[in-house]
Amino acid sequence: MKEDFVNIVRPLLPNVDYCSIRFVSRYSNIINATRSVVEPVSIYEDEGIMVTVFNDGGFGYGATSNTTKSGIKAAIDFALNWSGYSKDKLTYYPDLSKIQTQNGSFFTKENEQWSKVSMKDKADFLLEVNRALKSKPSISNWGAGIRHNTIETQFIDTIDSNIRQKLSYILPQMIVSAEYKKEIQTRTYGGHAHARQAGYDFIDTIAMHDKALELSEDVVELSRAKNCENNITDIIIAPDQMILQIHESIGHPLELDRILGDERNYAGSSFVNQEMFGKYKYGSDCLNVTFDPSVSSELASCNYDDDGTEAKREYLIKDGILLRPIGGLFSSQRAEMDYVACSRACNWNRPPIDRMGNINLEPGKSSLNEMVSSISEGIYVETNNSWSIDDKRNKFQFGCEKGTLIKDGKFTNIVKNVNYRGITEKFWNNLVNVGDKSTYEILGTSNCGKGEPNQTIFVGHATPACHFKEIDVFGGV
Amino acid sequence: MRNYFKKISDLLFNALESSEILILNFDAEETDFVRYNKSKIRQAGRVHQVSLDINLIKKGKTLRSSLRLSTEYTRDKTLLVRTLFFLRREVNELPKDPYLIYEKNINSSNLIDDQGLNAQNMSSRILDISSSHDMVGILSSGKIVKGFANSLGQFNWHESDSFNFDWSLYDDNGKAVKQNYADRKWNQDTFTRLYAESAQQLSVISNDEQKVEPGSYRVYLSPSALNEIIDMMSWGGFSYKANKIGSSPLHLMAKGDREFDKSVSFSEDLSNGISPKFHSDGFIKPNNTELITEGKYQKSLISPRSALEYSVKHNAAEDYESPVSIKLETGEINSKKILETLGTGIYLNNLWYLNFSDRNNARVTGLTRFGCFYVKDGELIGPINTMRFDETMYNIFGTKLAGLTNEQQLLMDTSTYEQRSVHSSTIPGAVVEDFRLTL
Repeated sequence: MKEDFVNIVRPLLPNVDYCSIRFVSRYSNIINATRSVVEPVSIYEDEGIMVTVFNDGGFGYGATSNTTKSGIKAAIDFALNWSGYSKDKLTYYPDLSKIQTQNGSFFTKENEQWSKVSMKDKADFLLEVNRALKSKPSISNWGAGIRHNTIETQFIDTIDSNIRQKLSYILPQMIVSAEYKKEIQTRTYGGHAHARQAGYDFIDTIAMHDKALELSEDVVELSRAKNCENNITDIIIAPDQMILQIHESIGHPLELDRILGDERNYAGSSFVNQEMFGKYKYGSDCLNVTFDPSVSSELASCNYDDDGTEAKREYLIKDGILLRPIGGLFSSQRAEMDYVACSRACNWNRPPIDRMGNINLEPGKSSLNEMVSSISEGIYVETNNSWSIDDKRNKFQFGCEKGTLIKDGKFTNIVKNVNYRGITEKFWNNLVNVGDKSTYEILGTSNCGKGEPNQTIFVGHATPACHFKEIDVFGGV
Repeated sequence: MRNYFKKISDLLFNALESSEILILNFDAEETDFVRYNKSKIRQAGRVHQVSLDINLIKKGKTLRSSLRLSTEYTRDKTLLVRTLFFLRREVNELPKDPYLIYEKNINSSNLIDDQGLNAQNMSSRILDISSSHDMVGILSSGKIVKGFANSLGQFNWHESDSFNFDWSLYDDNGKAVKQNYADRKWNQDTFTRLYAESAQQLSVISNDEQKVEPGSYRVYLSPSALNEIIDMMSWGGFSYKANKIGSSPLHLMAKGDREFDKSVSFSEDLSNGISPKFHSDGFIKPNNTELITEGKYQKSLISPRSALEYSVKHNAAEDYESPVSIKLETGEINSKKILETLGTGIYLNNLWYLNFSDRNNARVTGLTRFGCFYVKDGELIGPINTMRFDETMYNIFGTKLAGLTNEQQLLMDTSTYEQRSVHSSTIPGAVVEDFRLTL
């Protein structure tokens, strides 16, 4: 199918106002070793197509895993049938003349292909990492894994677009827990944050074995650490927690489909409204946030979205002022606002909706040492382990695996059960300082859920460490 | 579809070598999805998807592959045979699996429930009734199929039609109420009644907002709200493995250090037939597994793999060891007199975005969302502002539990990640004292 896609599908395109056909082929391989045993290895091969039809005031889609000619014809019929039914019943019908013909491609740069390393070598490597994780007697649980995903998309439409993109990403994961007096503390690496578009060579660059030893030391110390105390204090948030903060309290509230109400029954709406763009002070002057599909190896880098719109870097927030929503071409028409190429679907069986791509917080000028030195009393927090925010993306509460206290400009003791909470509208205006390139990390999460029907998709976030003032920090029971 | 699964199963089983065992899990769905916003259609379409999980077992080793199928035999045959050869070659590279286990007894079953649903008819009724409201939601309707076969001769089939319409009604101030109608066959009278209930609640939610400050409140948790907390409990709380490694929020309870109130009894109850009873490795799940009985931790869900790892007897739980059909027994509070029983406090219809704030101590946080009201002297006064709660399960189901209601509600899981869920819960409501609101 992949090779013949255009030749097979183009003659089948129906005579309607506009039709696109998106073919998606996905490959996934997951290898885990838990408590020093290799778990059953899983391989997922998936392909299917989605047909979307806009015609005469109606819209419909048809999706099928049957990519034979008869299957594609049936999917076209589903789409035609629903577009006929929905005529004059739609929330909106786009101006189809605004859709531009696109021809192009995008391929992840993979220095070493996943398939070139044998399953046995990968399993042996993970067992070695397991040994490093279980390097202390009090460690009660440990495990390591690697997930590899390849998503190949081909897109054609009735205005002669032809787009081919192939994204490959790697998600390494480690977990280690230690028990002390019936209380468990856990340190992780990867799960929420460290996915990257890359080949298997990415695994070498992150030195999993060394990280495993560090985590193991860390978790034993953490299990004996004091509980985090309740305090209103300064906080420096490490990149592997910042990505959740950006994701939940900047990315989601700026999604235009939320602002337009599509998500009100499920993922929620937003405290942001259309009138706020261009003037609302989202954060302090040092807050600069971009939609940037061009960052090499970042998780959602690409040249086109799933509606065939060309992807470009744009500022969403500049010098603290809210400029632009995360809305694709069709949503932007509904709202009469600027767009970014963010119309994305998790797979062939779900329609594109407004999604974060790479949403990045641009680096500032301070090193981590400079930020720490400027704090008389505060806390440095790392690695998310809990996230919760209201349906308008305002009242949030996050938990972190590890906190390191700061006293008189220096790191002191570590504390456990670190939580902090706040309100988005106030929080970003309490941003005091943004870390420089030395603190900046390109990260990404593979499991952002949204949409009806539900979709889980991968998004990228690159960020430095950031310093905030007057934050409500608290500990466990 | 059943015959097709049989045909490809035979193809693969006939190609096996004598030292090989093959386990197949078949998943298919033909679903119409209609998404609504502002009582109009936002997106509508049909999804037809078929997949097959193939697990090859050979000389103590195992390797799994999951494939999408076209259901056109000539096309799929090539893919299936190629995959079997690939698995046969690669499985040799892997170490032996010390926890490899699969059902060796034959327990075949067959269930087919064909209702012939018509999503466009349903959608027209939804659009008609909601035209004067701001309705947003999703209708999912169609067939869900689960099949199992192994090369030892077992064959199981579970095919059923169902729909799930999940919607909210909004007022001009952004306040909303939520309702759900799910069943195997559309009943217009039932739908009209449920819709009228949500429209009635909307009229109350349009009263002036009652500003609630952080503090401790007497609350009523509706079955839906309580289910959100039970969902969090199910993140390892009933897992044997999670209790052994300590990642369970109930690990202190499982060790006998903590208890719930005596009125609290949880079980995994598959008797409603919504979820198939066959396990992905062929084991047949018991109709009922008591998890917590009269406040005491009774039993975990134990997967066959965990059973081997920890040398215990399994109860055919899937590897994730969380409930698919949890049931909480009823209490004594009259469901018809909730407002009277609550007196003055907060009526919580829906909670949202829960997560742990201290997993070791079963403490969870989350937010109020749809249909949450301030109640004074047994009367609904008006909707509350969105509030964050932070409370332990030991308080909610233990020392602070005033009681459970005498009626349960069957809640069908609306999840459609990857595929439509066949999970459900049967839950009463609860009145809880000193429920902590923090922000």
